[in-house]
Amino acid sequence: MSDRPVIDMRRLHRFFGSTRAVNDISFEVMQGEVFGYIGPNGAGKTTSMRILATLDIPTYGDALVDGFSVINDPDRVRRRLGFMPDYFGTYADVNCREYLDFFARAYGLRGNDRRRALGHVMGFTKLDGLAEKPIRGLSKGMKQRLCLGRAMIHDPSVLILDEPAAGLDPRARIELRQMIRELADKGKTILVSSHILTELAEMCDRVGIIERGELLAVGTVAEIQRGQITHCQIKARIIENVPAAAAWLGERSDIENIRVDGQLIRFSHVGETGEQAKLLREMILAEFAVAEFGIEQRSLEDVFMHVTRGVVQ
Amino acid sequence: MSATDASASPFATGDPSKIDAGVALKHPVWQAIETAIERGGERLNPILVKEARQALKSKQFVVTFTLLLLAGWVWSMLGVALLSPGVYYAPGGRFMLSGYFIILTIPVLVIVPFSAFRSLAAEREDGTFELLSITALSSRQIVTGKLGSAMLQMLVYYSALAPCIAFTYLLRGIDIVTIVFLLFWTLVASVLLSTIGLVVATVTRARHWQVLLSVLLLVMLCIVTLIWTMSFVSLITDTQATAFDDVDFWLAMAAIVTFCISHAVMFVLIAAAQISFASDNRSTKLRVMLLVQQTLWLGWMMFFWIRFEEEAILYVLVSVAAVYWTLAGACLMGEAAILSPRVKRSLPQSFLGRMCFTWFNPGSGTGYTFTVANLLTLVIVTVAAGVTAELGGFAAARGNFDWLVFVTLAVAYVVLYLGIGRLVVLLLRQLGRVTMLLTFLVNLFLAVIGVAMPLFFQAWLEGYSRISYSIVQMTNWAWTLEEAADGNLLSFSVPIIIYCSAGVVFLLNLLFTIYEVEQVRLVTPERVLRDEHELHPQNDDSGRRASPWDEPMVT
Repeated sequence: MSDRPVIDMRRLHRFFGSTRAVNDISFEVMQGEVFGYIGPNGAGKTTSMRILATLDIPTYGDALVDGFSVINDPDRVRRRLGFMPDYFGTYADVNCREYLDFFARAYGLRGNDRRRALGHVMGFTKLDGLAEKPIRGLSKGMKQRLCLGRAMIHDPSVLILDEPAAGLDPRARIELRQMIRELADKGKTILVSSHILTELAEMCDRVGIIERGELLAVGTVAEIQRGQITHCQIKARIIENVPAAAAWLGERSDIENIRVDGQLIRFSHVGETGEQAKLLREMILAEFAVAEFGIEQRSLEDVFMHVTRGVVQ
Repeated sequence: MSATDASASPFATGDPSKIDAGVALKHPVWQAIETAIERGGERLNPILVKEARQALKSKQFVVTFTLLLLAGWVWSMLGVALLSPGVYYAPGGRFMLSGYFIILTIPVLVIVPFSAFRSLAAEREDGTFELLSITALSSRQIVTGKLGSAMLQMLVYYSALAPCIAFTYLLRGIDIVTIVFLLFWTLVASVLLSTIGLVVATVTRARHWQVLLSVLLLVMLCIVTLIWTMSFVSLITDTQATAFDDVDFWLAMAAIVTFCISHAVMFVLIAAAQISFASDNRSTKLRVMLLVQQTLWLGWMMFFWIRFEEEAILYVLVSVAAVYWTLAGACLMGEAAILSPRVKRSLPQSFLGRMCFTWFNPGSGTGYTFTVANLLTLVIVTVAAGVTAELGGFAAARGNFDWLVFVTLAVAYVVLYLGIGRLVVLLLRQLGRVTMLLTFLVNLFLAVIGVAMPLFFQAWLEGYSRISYSIVQMTNWAWTLEEAADGNLLSFSVPIIIYCSAGVVFLLNLLFTIYEVEQVRLVTPERVLRDEHELHPQNDDSGRRASPWDEPMVT
C-alpha cells in the first residue's frame, strides 16, 4: 500500500461569477479509506466532486488522483476513477446489460475482459436477474445499483459517490452501505457525500465538513468532536438528594447547562477524560449516591450541527 | 435463458472456454466468419454500437422506416397505375425514380441529420454526456460515433428503397450512371447535413437556445431538402441533360466531393472541439484543417486556371479565399491565449519547429498571424500563376495587371480589418471576458461600418444620385474591390494607402503576439512518463526525439 494519498485536493477554488462555490479546499484521502463529504445543500460538495471527476476545472488549485492532475492528465485520472453522480443518466430503449456493456466498451474493455467485468459487476450489484430488464422499468434502488455498477465497470481504484443513498428505502440503503464497505475492504478509495449522516458515520473512516465552499473540519468523527467541541455531555443518576447534588455541581466552574430530570442530572463538562474521573471521585467523596455516570456520545449529526452554521450562499 | 444460450450471447459472462466449446461445434468456415465478425465488432466505436442498438429499437426509426416502406409501396402502385397502359412499351423509369427520390430525400436529408442533432443534444440534456465524457472515449470518438450511427440509418433507408430503385432501371428510360449519381450526392449531402447537425448540438447547453436552434435547423433542413429535390427531380426528368460525358463535369464533381469531405471533417472537428475538456487543445487540429482546405482550394483553382485559362478564375479564387479567411480569422481571434500545462507538453521545441508551428497554437495573436500567413501564401501562388500566364501567353491573357491590384487589395483589406478587429478585442479584454461570438460580431461590425460610413458621408455631402467612387470610399472594401476588378482605380493612391495601413496594423498586432510566441514546452512529469511506459511499454522512446521538431537529446 502506497503512502502517497490517492486523492489529494490542493487549495481547490471554483468561482462562478461572484459566488465562491469552492473556496480553498485541501484534504487527502489514503488508499482503502472511505471519506465522507458532508455539508448543507449548496455547500460545494458536488462542485468539488465534479472537479475531481474531471467534469469541471478549478479556478485555482488542483486535485490529484493517484498522483495525476485532474487538469493536466484527465485521461489518466479517468482510468483510475469511477464517478456516480447525484442524477441517473439513462438511455431510452436500453436494458441493464446493454447499458453496462456500452460503458465497458467505452472504458476500452474488449472481448473476454469485458464479459468478465460485466459478470463481476452484475454479480456484485446483484443485478444478474435483471440483466434483460429495460432501465426505465427499474426501481430507484435498482437504478442506484446499476449506476454503481457503471462507475466500477472498469475496476477503478477510486470511487466518487455523490449522494448514493438519496431516495433509497432502508433496506436498499443498508445494502448500498455494505457494498461500499466491501469495496473499501478490497482497497478501493471512496469519497462519498450524503445527507444521511447516520449512514456516513457507520461507513466512513473519516469525514470532511464543508459549508459555503470552505472545509470546516476534517478527520474522524471523534477527532472533529475533540477539535471542535471543548465540552462533553455527561449524564449522572443520583439515587437521593438530587437537588443538593445539582446545587453542588452548579457551584463548579467547569460545569454548565445543568438539567434535572427525576434522578437524572445532565450537564456539560469542560475538560478531558481524566478530569471527568476526578469529578466522579469528588461527587462520591461529597457523599452523593451516584448510581450511574457516563458521557453521552455525540453523533455525527451533533458534530455537524455544531460545526456548520446553516448559512447558504 | 439457458446456460447454452447464455454462452452464445455476446454478453455471456461465464467461463470463456465454454464459449469456445460452443463455437467449436460449428463448421470451421462459419466459425472463422463469426470470429472475424466478433473481432470486427470489438473494434467498432462503442457509441456506434450503442446508437445502433438504441436507434433500431426506437419508435422514431420504426415509424420512419415503416412510412418509407409504405410510401415506396404506394408510389409503386400509383406510379404504375398512372403510367398504364404505356408502362408495357414506353420507358417509365425517370417518372418512377422521381417519386422514389422524393420519398428517399425526406428521411435521408431531414430525419437523419435532425436525429444526429437530437442524439448529441439529448446526451447533454439528459446528463449522459457527462458520464460519457469521463470514459476513455475521446470527444472525437463521441462525435464520429454519432455520425456513424447517422450513416448506418442512411444505409438502412437506402436499402429499404433499393428494390424500388432497381425496379425503375428495369422500366428503362434511366441509366445506371444517373441513378448512382443521384444516390451518391444525396448520401454526401446527408453526411454533410448530419455533421452540421452535430455542430449545432454543441453550440449551447441552455435549454431555450437548444429549442430555438432545433427549430432553425429543422427549417434549414426542410429548405435544403426542397431545393435539393427540385434540382434533382428536374435532372431526372430532363432527358437532354447529358453532362455525364463531359470530363470537365466530372472534374468539377471531384472538386466538390473533396470540399464536401473536408467540410464534413471540419464540422466533426469543430463539434469534437466544442465538447472536449477545458484544458484540451481545441484549436490546432482545426487550424490544420483550415490549411488543408486552403491547399485544396488553391490546388483545384490552379488546376482549373491552367485547364481553362480564364482570368475570372483568379478573381473567384481570391474572393472566396478572402471571405473564407475573414470568417475563419474572426473566429480564431476569439481564442484565449491560455495554454494549459498539458498543451505545453507537446509544443514544438526546436527553432525551426517553433517558427513553423507556433501559429497552430491556440491564441488570438497566433490566429491572426496564421490567417495572414495563409493569405500571403494565397497571394504568392496567385501572383506567380497570374504572371506566368501573362508572360507565358495564356489565351485569356490581356496584358494588363488589374487582377494583381484586385488580389493584393483584397488580401490587404482582410489583413487590415482583422487586425483592427483584434486590437479592438484586445482593448475589450481589458474590461472583461470576450467570447468568440463577441469577437466575430466586432469584426462583422467593423466590416459593415467600413462600407456604410463612407457611403453615408459621401451621400450626405454630394447627394445619393450623384455619388461616385472617390478616395473617401477607401474604407469601403466592397466598392473599392469592384473598381479594382473593373480596372477603374485610376490612381494607385488608394491601394498604396491600404497596403501601408495593412502593414502597420499587422506589425502592431505582431507586437501584441510576443507573449503567445514565447510559450515553450514544459517537461512531462516523471509520474506521467512512468504511467505511459506501463501502459505502452513497446513505445518506450526515452532517449529518442519524438519528432523532427524536438531538440536533439543530449547524451
